[in-house]
Amino acid sequence: MQHDRALRQMAARNPLATPMQHSLHRRRFLQAMAAGAAAAALPGTAAAQQRPLSLLTWDAYADPRLLTLWRETSGGDIRYEIHISDPTSVNRLRAGETAVWDFINVNNPWARNVMWPAGLIRELPRDRFDPLYAQMKPKFHMPYKWAMSEDGQNLLGLVQRYETFDFVVNPEVISPQLAKDEGWSLFSNPDFAGRYGILAYEDWNVMDICMGAGVHPFKVKTDDEVARFEETARLWIQNARLITTDFVQLNLAILNGEIDLYFTGGTYTTAAARLEGVTELYAITPASGPADGKGGINWIEVNSVVNNPDLHPQAFDFIEFIASPDAAEIIARGNGNLQPVSQMAQPELMSRFSADELAAIQWDEFDERIANAVEFDIVPDYDRLYDIYSAAMRMRG
Amino acid sequence: MSRVHGPWFALPVGLFLAAFFAAPIVIVAWYSLMPPRTFELSGALTTANYRAAFGEGYERPLMWSALGAALTTLVCALLAWPTATILHRSAGRWAGVVTALIALPIFISESVRLFGMSLFLMPGGGILAGTLNALFEVRVGSILNSRLGALVGLVYIHFPFMLFPLLLGVAMVPADRIEAARDLGAGRLAVFREVELPLAAPGLSIGCLLTFVLALGANAEAAILGGRAVTVITAAIEQRFNYAQDWPMGAALTVLVIAVTAAVVFPVLARVPLDRIIRR
Repeated sequence: MQHDRALRQMAARNPLATPMQHSLHRRRFLQAMAAGAAAAALPGTAAAQQRPLSLLTWDAYADPRLLTLWRETSGGDIRYEIHISDPTSVNRLRAGETAVWDFINVNNPWARNVMWPAGLIRELPRDRFDPLYAQMKPKFHMPYKWAMSEDGQNLLGLVQRYETFDFVVNPEVISPQLAKDEGWSLFSNPDFAGRYGILAYEDWNVMDICMGAGVHPFKVKTDDEVARFEETARLWIQNARLITTDFVQLNLAILNGEIDLYFTGGTYTTAAARLEGVTELYAITPASGPADGKGGINWIEVNSVVNNPDLHPQAFDFIEFIASPDAAEIIARGNGNLQPVSQMAQPELMSRFSADELAAIQWDEFDERIANAVEFDIVPDYDRLYDIYSAAMRMRG
Repeated sequence: MSRVHGPWFALPVGLFLAAFFAAPIVIVAWYSLMPPRTFELSGALTTANYRAAFGEGYERPLMWSALGAALTTLVCALLAWPTATILHRSAGRWAGVVTALIALPIFISESVRLFGMSLFLMPGGGILAGTLNALFEVRVGSILNSRLGALVGLVYIHFPFMLFPLLLGVAMVPADRIEAARDLGAGRLAVFREVELPLAAPGLSIGCLLTFVLALGANAEAAILGGRAVTVITAAIEQRFNYAQDWPMGAALTVLVIAVTAAVVFPVLARVPLDRIIRR
């Protein structure tokens, strides 16, 4: 039965659905292109108004209910593309696609440390957006580091979904308490060699391997620490049963008894299946670790306005729109997933989640998990560590 | 048509190829000479990326890709030859239906087909293992997440690219030539070696080329069915462009793959009488 559910989840993610969705939007986009010649004669803003608002985004923001709500609220249309990873999307903006997109959401360090210094995003007007932060969980109250430029002068985006993203176990094989206490050392335990998978979100894997090597991922490493990282990377990659970019494959592998645990994972990879009644998936944030005593990593999604020279006039409105309870609720449940959002501090929004949904996101221990995690940051020696990691990948097999 | 007008008629195609085929390759080649982990095209020229390509273990992914492509080509050729021969000689009016059944999957996304195969091969509750267990109480293992799984995926995806050129090749063998050979006392092996293979060679060569080149650049099979049991060269290139943010190194690896492809394609193409196939 649970297998059926997992298979249905996989079928629901049938990539065929995406081109069909896109073709609809592509037609609209082509219609807009056809009007392009006429629009070219118009002043810049008028031309931007002729085209749909363009989102480079995670799938939750492409939920049809959100697009419909936006259309009803603003009268505008949306074109979107679901992105694959933070660095890929930043690459695309670097390569000139700032002229294509109006909105982008990536994980917290990318806005502050990369996109803003590179001139890829615009600042948000603080008088309009600071009040939205006051309605979030206290953790996000202003001045919130990841929403601001390094000099603290510019507001770079609106934070929304967040969680800890560490590893997932089958609680019928490994008790959650044991997993929290043992933490990352489980993956170095010879008993689990060939019994775990790796979700190839590779920048995350690098941070996890740091944790496993007893190294703070977000501090400069000594040569000795790099050597420990290399040893751990080789061991973990060589002993992995499977490595994939698709977390449904990993969830199915746990259900089929092929593996007992995997990294990287968390609410994002387990909540939808747990809500369907799959009990073999449990997100773990280690109780302790080498990052100032913490072993987990907490990501925060930052929604930003792209520095498009011909920005859509409703780009800032859309950022404000997604913070509304109705939109935030859809995003939290976006495209069949389930993810905590910063606006859950508002009783009105919180009351809309059922007990089953809160159990699926392990809400009872969510604050504890956040407390046991450091916030996602840029890894100072990332290039060196990533080269070691990718070399270990090449040596596999 | 006057010969004078020929170049003018070719001009649009020439411009199209220059803009969308030659220019991207030139840009990639130029990028490969830029300093590592830079995003500019105006840096000092360097061969550092090529030195790294030969000194940092990239030969292993290249070897897996080339080996996978060669094995895929061989297996596909062995499977496609009898299939094409049967379709050509025996299937009659059903040949069209059978051909369509083989061709139809091409119109379905490769990822969907591979995920389908993954569900089929999955251990425990997978379609194959689950059915055998439920009907016959037979427990079988799985080739999923192994090198063999990746190879099966490569053959599954690329088989039509071998079959259809080979059908053309087999159709180029006149039946009376085979009968004449048999009348002269040639056995089955001699007919195959001396008559069928040489006459069908153009189709076989094109099929081998298509299959090898496509399989050399394949990534999804090793990722979805192979569980990354090995890293193929396209995955290594993707890593450089993506998570490593190292476009020049990714470009250098891309140029090397293009060079390997060219080294295989051009000598074979030079021996294939394309005109003869096209004019049929």
